[in-house]
Amino acid sequence: MVVAMEEDEKKQQAAVMVTPGEVLGRVSDVKPGRGAYAALHNDTVYASLTGFCCTIPPFPDSSDQRPTVEVTGHKAHGPVPQPGSLVIARITKVMAKTASADIMCVGPNSVREKFTGIIRQQDVRATEIDKVDMHLSFRPGDIVKALVLSLGDSRAYFLSTAKNELGVVSAESIAGATMVPVSWTEMQCPLTGQIENRKVAKVAS
Amino acid sequence: MTGTGGTAPATYSPSPTTHKNKASLFQQDWVRPDGRGFHQCRPAFFRTGAVNAASGSAYAEFGNTKVIVSVFGPRESKKAMMYSDIGRLNCNVSYTTFASPVRGQGSDHKEYTAMLHKALEGAIILESFPKTTVDVFALVLESGGSDLPVVISCASLALADAGIMMYDLVASVSVSCLSKNLVIDPVFEEENSQDGSLMITCMPSRYEITQLTVTGEWSTPKINEGMQLCLDACAKLAKIMRSCLKEAASDSQE
Repeated sequence: MVVAMEEDEKKQQAAVMVTPGEVLGRVSDVKPGRGAYAALHNDTVYASLTGFCCTIPPFPDSSDQRPTVEVTGHKAHGPVPQPGSLVIARITKVMAKTASADIMCVGPNSVREKFTGIIRQQDVRATEIDKVDMHLSFRPGDIVKALVLSLGDSRAYFLSTAKNELGVVSAESIAGATMVPVSWTEMQCPLTGQIENRKVAKVAS
Repeated sequence: MTGTGGTAPATYSPSPTTHKNKASLFQQDWVRPDGRGFHQCRPAFFRTGAVNAASGSAYAEFGNTKVIVSVFGPRESKKAMMYSDIGRLNCNVSYTTFASPVRGQGSDHKEYTAMLHKALEGAIILESFPKTTVDVFALVLESGGSDLPVVISCASLALADAGIMMYDLVASVSVSCLSKNLVIDPVFEEENSQDGSLMITCMPSRYEITQLTVTGEWSTPKINEGMQLCLDACAKLAKIMRSCLKEAASDSQE
């Protein structure tokens, strides 16, 4: 059951299925992308995932003219938050200087099991960061869109909502209705008309 | 039922359930119970995607040895764990109560968990999932001999099915020494009356060994012969594993 590896000239032409450990090329010929790695002891590029192998041609003006070979997994495992990824989280606990959140989606994919994130006072917004009142920014149960700052410590990822498009996306009022955003600091309950304070995300329309 | 596996020399333990008594005189003309040649492995059957709830899973059947492995992860490590910038691997091997011929508590193969961990950790790219844990749970449904090699091969298929980045698939084969003969892929009775065993876990495409376990007394030429047998068998087993993964992947594409 030997699969012949072909070097193809165009991206997406190579629909060859590879499994972990299969040879994709030599280090002198190709660069390993996602799903592939280079073994330096014998200068070979191997696949590290099961999926389709495609070759991406190099940028015409880059110094390294090797094409990149990557393996697109046919079945990706649940995503893991990486620094720089946009996540959707639900606030679980609000304290004086931090708020805890359960990360439920990473990018467009939902996770299989939740990860714990934490939003610190200085990461809630970009201006006047020492005057932030956590209780006027978040409440438990709010759905927020946040950015992963870093892997954090052993207990939680560090999240940030310090951008216009980050913050509370959906929240329930005390009366139980889904609130409507009024400004970047206020949301209004449609049933009672009450205004509540949140750090609201600017949703592009 | 104290059926010991391939790691301890079972020659000296009393096993009241096996009626074969270790008549070493007859081992010269040992005929394998299933009629295989000495250097012939059992036909291997693999299927991935057996467990829906898990991130990845695989089922393996080698004659009478049936194993199912589920992989969960990468998921959040327990809060009590210290921060680590590489991923963690957590393994567990357990036997069902009906795995052995005499229904019992499940054999005391607690060392299999540690051995599975050592076999797999060399093959997984732990740096690809920092701070999280991958859990591998192996359940032996029926123990027909050569359990740990089957568990290791099946676990590596399950990890590939789960999309965990690995350096290579891991294939494992064991060889038993019955007085002068080397038999590959021993069955339960052969393991009980063996003089020594050699188990090799290797990454066939990279031609690297992740684990080597030797028990009993071996002379150098015998060890060389045993290793060669195992490595050849691992290469063939890896081909079967790859074709199973490719079939499963192309089925899911349609």
